[in-house]
This record gives sequence, structure tokens and C-alpha cells, in this order.
Amino acid sequence: MLKTQELQINIGPQHPSTHGVFRLVVTVDGETIVDLKPVFGYLHRNHEQLAEVSTYIQMMPFTDRLDYFNSMANNFGLAIAVEKLAGIEVPQRANYIRVLMAELTRILNHAAAVAFMINDMGAWQTPLAFGMREREKILDLFEMASGARMMCNYFRFGGIVRDLPPDFMPLLNDLMKALPTFFDETERLLRENEILLLRSEGVGILPKEVAASYSVTGPVLRASGVPYDVRKAEPYSVYNELDFDVPIGSVGDIYDRFLVRIEEMRQSYRIVQQVIERLPDTTGGHINPAMASIGKQKALKPPVGDVYGRVETPKGELGFYIVSDGSARPYRYKVRAPSFINLTPIGDMCRGHKVADVVVILGSIDIVLGEVDR
Amino acid sequence: MTVEFDRGKAYVVDRGQPKLRAGQGMIAGLDVVIRHFFSAFTKKLETPDETSGVFTVQYPEERLAMPEAFRNFPILLFDDTTGQELCTSCFQCERICPPQVIHMTQAVDPTTGKPVPAVAEFMIEYDACMSCGLCAEVCPFDAIKMDHDFELATDDRAGMTVRKADLDRPVSYYETIAPTRWAEVKDGAYKKLQGNIKRRSGSIGLSPRAATAPKKAAPAAAKPAAGVAKPVAVKTAMPMAAPGKNMSEEKLARLLSIRAANVAKAGGAAPAEAEEVLATADTDDVAEAPAAVAAARPVSSGGIPFSADNLLGGVPANTTMAEDKVERLKSIRSGNLARRG
Ligand code: SF4
Ligand code: SF4
Repeated sequence: MLKTQELQINIGPQHPSTHGVFRLVVTVDGETIVDLKPVFGYLHRNHEQLAEVSTYIQMMPFTDRLDYFNSMANNFGLAIAVEKLAGIEVPQRANYIRVLMAELTRILNHAAAVAFMINDMGAWQTPLAFGMREREKILDLFEMASGARMMCNYFRFGGIVRDLPPDFMPLLNDLMKALPTFFDETERLLRENEILLLRSEGVGILPKEVAASYSVTGPVLRASGVPYDVRKAEPYSVYNELDFDVPIGSVGDIYDRFLVRIEEMRQSYRIVQQVIERLPDTTGGHINPAMASIGKQKALKPPVGDVYGRVETPKGELGFYIVSDGSARPYRYKVRAPSFINLTPIGDMCRGHKVADVVVILGSIDIVLGEVDR
Repeated sequence: MTVEFDRGKAYVVDRGQPKLRAGQGMIAGLDVVIRHFFSAFTKKLETPDETSGVFTVQYPEERLAMPEAFRNFPILLFDDTTGQELCTSCFQCERICPPQVIHMTQAVDPTTGKPVPAVAEFMIEYDACMSCGLCAEVCPFDAIKMDHDFELATDDRAGMTVRKADLDRPVSYYETIAPTRWAEVKDGAYKKLQGNIKRRSGSIGLSPRAATAPKKAAPAAAKPAAGVAKPVAVKTAMPMAAPGKNMSEEKLARLLSIRAANVAKAGGAAPAEAEEVLATADTDDVAEAPAAVAAARPVSSGGIPFSADNLLGGVPANTTMAEDKVERLKSIRSGNLARRG
């Protein structure tokens, strides 16, 4: 066999495939990947240290900036953790609105994630425009409720900042009419598409055991065939009152990840339907009256202790580990960022494949550098 | 494999049948694309219940209506009729601001030397503000609110540190952008304001803009809110980078004047840049007459004179930064140090 010389190249750190500032040190033998090492940290913003000099409520807007695609889900994580720590009850209505927002977030994230992945394969912009269109509609709803499209800062300890505005529900109902068409179209556009199959089938396989040993979570883990979902494993909020299934893959390649995401959008759609049905009958207002004023939020001093609060964001398990010393600021604050942990096995996924596959594999993991580097 | 959960199960996604690959999948995909392609010429996507049609908006000619909740950067409110600012300098917003970009000094009654519930100088670093809206949420006097104006792009970084004269907006302006929100808090806010006005004297608490603000201030604001489907963003007299016809020359002149003013200030001369900034701003875009705006500029009221130095390097020794501010910064720093070690 012809022996060629190995070559080390850097992909990034500028902008490998529009996912952010991130560098891949790739050792190639011809076109084949021999080794790959991800190097991150270029977007480090001192998130955890900031928490130690901020009050709990001041951290809420900072969590928006973790995974800036899913600020609602990040807010949810922090709120759950702090509520657990301080023992704050959340009224039923607030819980349902929270779940509504979290599931809309999942739909918008997957719409964009699938679209970006296809974009990375070379289906330049067309599927992306379809994904972005639906995402935009959901962002409009977020803007209406929270005041911002992406940096929502919508959750408060004990509830949410404000109840839904009156024109929210009609628009949401309209959107619900469009979404099934969108899911079907996306699937028809890409499922069993020959090019997509060639690029994705059997590429970037992450076996179950490897995924579990890297602590991978979210759609990437589920595509490898592990039915693990925090919403089922440790139901928080009102997820134990809602019917939904967990789609899993069988092979663990890029194609499975793609299909799992499409199915997850459908499941989220089911959840949103149930929430819309029940929302008018919910009780309790949008926030726990004991925490209703911002002054209470500001003065929140959880008792001494530590807590690990976790939620299933669209990217995986987002956990907040908070140690309280009884003061108004966390003593230690640690974020378990799903993007970061899902990114670590990229070397294993890429070995043996071609250089062009790296970008697609990276796209299929669905990372946001804001969360990877924090 | 199926795993049963409470209220649901895990199921394996269908990978499809291995078929004779003759491009059926691609043709199916192309069918979707082509249908969207044609509808892009025939249809406009207006409501979210459709998935086809043109959904882009020809900004800036076309604009989407902004929801009332929209928040961009904070502004300060003053009462239209009396010109009194609602802010009492209670420091709540300064304390809660996560990136700590709000700075203020409290007004002092010159005769008694006692602090009064009014603000002497108020400064927000827009370039570091993250539009979280916590300041507006926390303010007990409803004096600080989130604006809808988002067209603030500028090449003038120093100009993004906005002082009171540029932050002030009449209540009627806020009413046009957020009518229901203002209606909710209106009565309480005015009641508190009445109480506070009693404790102010002379020109303390008067908005620098009030003197020239017309009775129905921000006339541009009233128009688009009146049921127009796509309102034009309200352009108030923000003396930032107003787009001008001779952009490059204008910019150059302005930058030079700012620099000159900074140099002069470092040497202790009187601040002069404000008027110059205004003089060069394009007046076509500005709601009020330029002379009126210039007259509305603050008479330097003992606040923090800003310079490129105190923006960049913390507290340089040669600035005339208010002493309490220096003290506070020092104490914050030492507090942080103590926390760490
Ligand atoms: S919006 Fe947030 S960041 Fe901006 S000034 Fe207010 S509190 Fe500070
Ligand atoms: S704007 Fe409001 S919170 Fe800030 S100092 Fe003035 S009154 Fe207090």
C-alpha cells in the first residue's frame, strides 16, 4: 500500500462552518482523518466567576448568553436550580407557560440545527431558509412575551416575569397550524435524499457505550440508542403531567441524529398542544406571590447548601451546580453545558472519515460556542 | 427496542427502506423546493399559519410592528407638563444592573447641602448594556423604561456612553410605545412624583430637555402608533451618528472635534464637544429644530465629565470624577478582593 506522510492542519479558529470561534487540530493522511483534537476557549466570558460576584437574579440575563439559541431553556435551568435550593414553589400556570416556552425553544433549535447541518453538507441556504422561517415565527412570539427575540430573560425565581400578552395565543394557534406542514416538508425535502444519505449514513457513528462514557446527552445520545431524557428520568416542572415519547436512533450516525431531531420536534409539538389545551384552566398566576416583586428576587438569600438543578435543553442536559453560603451571591456556581460535553467525543466520531465529513459531524452535534466556552 | 416511561415510550426512529436509489429522494425534495420557489413570486407570507410565500421584509423601507414588550436600551422619563424627571436617584437600578453600566450622582440642595430626591447626572454605557430590562423592572418610581429605538449604530464609541440629557424622554413618548404598560403604572408613578417634587427646589430635577420639549413632545412618535400596520420607528433627537449626506466629511469633523474636546478636557478646559456633536448631526432626521435641541443641552451640572480615558481605564487619577464615585469603585474593588481571598 502507498504510504503517505501525515500532515497536521488547523481548521479554524476563525469560523469552521459558521458554528463559532473554535479550532480543530486535524491530523490527516491524505484525505483521511487520523486524529482530531478540538481546541476551545476562544469565547470564554467568565460566566461562572461572574456569578460569584452577582446576585442570583443578576445571573438570569447572563444565562441567556450561554446557548444563545435557547435562552428560554437556559433560564429554565437556573430557575429550577435556585428554586430547588431556596425551596420556592412555582404556581401551575407559570409552570405551564415555562414548559410552553421550553418546548417552543426545542422546536426552534431543532429547526435551525437540522437546517445548519444540511447547510454544512452543501445544501446551501435553501433548507436553512425554511428552518429560519419557522424559527423567526417562534422568535416573534418570544419577543411579544419577553421583549427580546433571543435574550429573553423571561424566567424569575418562582415563575415568569410577566403573563402572556393577550395577542400571544391567537398567534401561537396560527403557528400551530403551520408547524406540521413544516415538519413534513422538512422530512420530505431531506429524508432518503440520496446526497444526504451518502453524506450521513454510517458517518460519524458514536456507539452507545462510547457516548455514555463521554457523558454525552441530548439528541446525540438518543440517536446512539440510549433512551435518556431528563424530562423522563427526573421530571421537573409539569413534565410528568404531559404525554410525550422519546425518539431514539439505532445506529448513532449523522442520519439518526437528523431523524431524531425531526421526531423530537413532533413530540414537542404534541406537548405544546397539550399545554395550549390546559392553559386556560391553570391556576396560580404567573409567579409565586411570595416572589412577585423584583425586590424579593433581588434579596433572595437561599439557605446554606448546595444543589444540582438540571433541565433537558434542546442540546442535552443543562445543569447548574450552585453552592450557597447563605448570602445573596452564590459561593460557587458551575454550569454543566451540554454543548461542551457533546463536543468532546468529536475525535472519536471523525477518526477514519474524510476531511469533508468533519464539518458535517460537527454540524450534527449541534453546538453553540457560547455554551461550550462560557 | 421499546422502553416504557410514565406517559410515553421510547421508540426507534424509522430510517426508511433501503431502496433502489434512482434519485426518488432528490426528486421529492426538489418538488418541495420548486413549490416554495413559485409561491415566492405569487404570495406573501403574512400570518404564521402558512409556510410558503415571501417572508422577508424590505427593511428599512418596510418595518415590522414592534410588540409593546420590546426592550432595547433604557431611557429616563420626565413629565411633559412640569418637566420634572421621575427619577429620584434611589440607586436601585445602578445596583441591580448586571454589567454595572449605570452610574449616577444624586442632586444636592445648594442652600441646605442636603441630598434631594432627584438626580444630578445619570449615565448609561449603552455599549455595554445588555438590554436585560432589570433596571426598568426594579425602578420603584417608573422613571427608567426600555426604549424601542434600535437604530443606534455608530462609529463613535465614546458617544455610546449616554448622559441624562440624551436619556431623557417625555412620558408622552413612552406612552406611544407602550400604552398598556404605562397605563398600569401611571397613577402610582405620578403620585410618587408629586411627593418628590415637593422636596426639590429651583431647577433641581428639571429635565434638560424639558424647556424646549413641545407640549405634545415627540410629534414623530404620535403618528406611527395611530393604527398604522407597519409603524416607522420613532426617531427622536438622539445626537448620535445621524445619517447625513456627507457622511465621511461630517464624521471626520465630528471625530476631530470629539478628540479635541477630550484633549482639552484632560487639560481642564470646559467641555465643548456636546454642542459640536449636535451641530454636525444631520438635522433632517431630528424631530425638533436643531437650535432647540442645542438649547436643551445640559448645562454641565457637576456630573462625571466623561473622556476616552475614564471609559477605558477605570478611574484615572487626573479626571474630575466625583469623589464618592471613586470611593465607591475603590470599595467595590477591595470588596471583590476580599471575597476572593
Ligand atoms: S438594561 Fe440591564 S444592562 Fe442595561 S442598563 Fe438596564 S440593568 Fe443594566
Ligand atoms: S431610575 Fe429609578 S431605580 Fe434608577 S435611580 Fe432613578 S428612581 Fe431609582
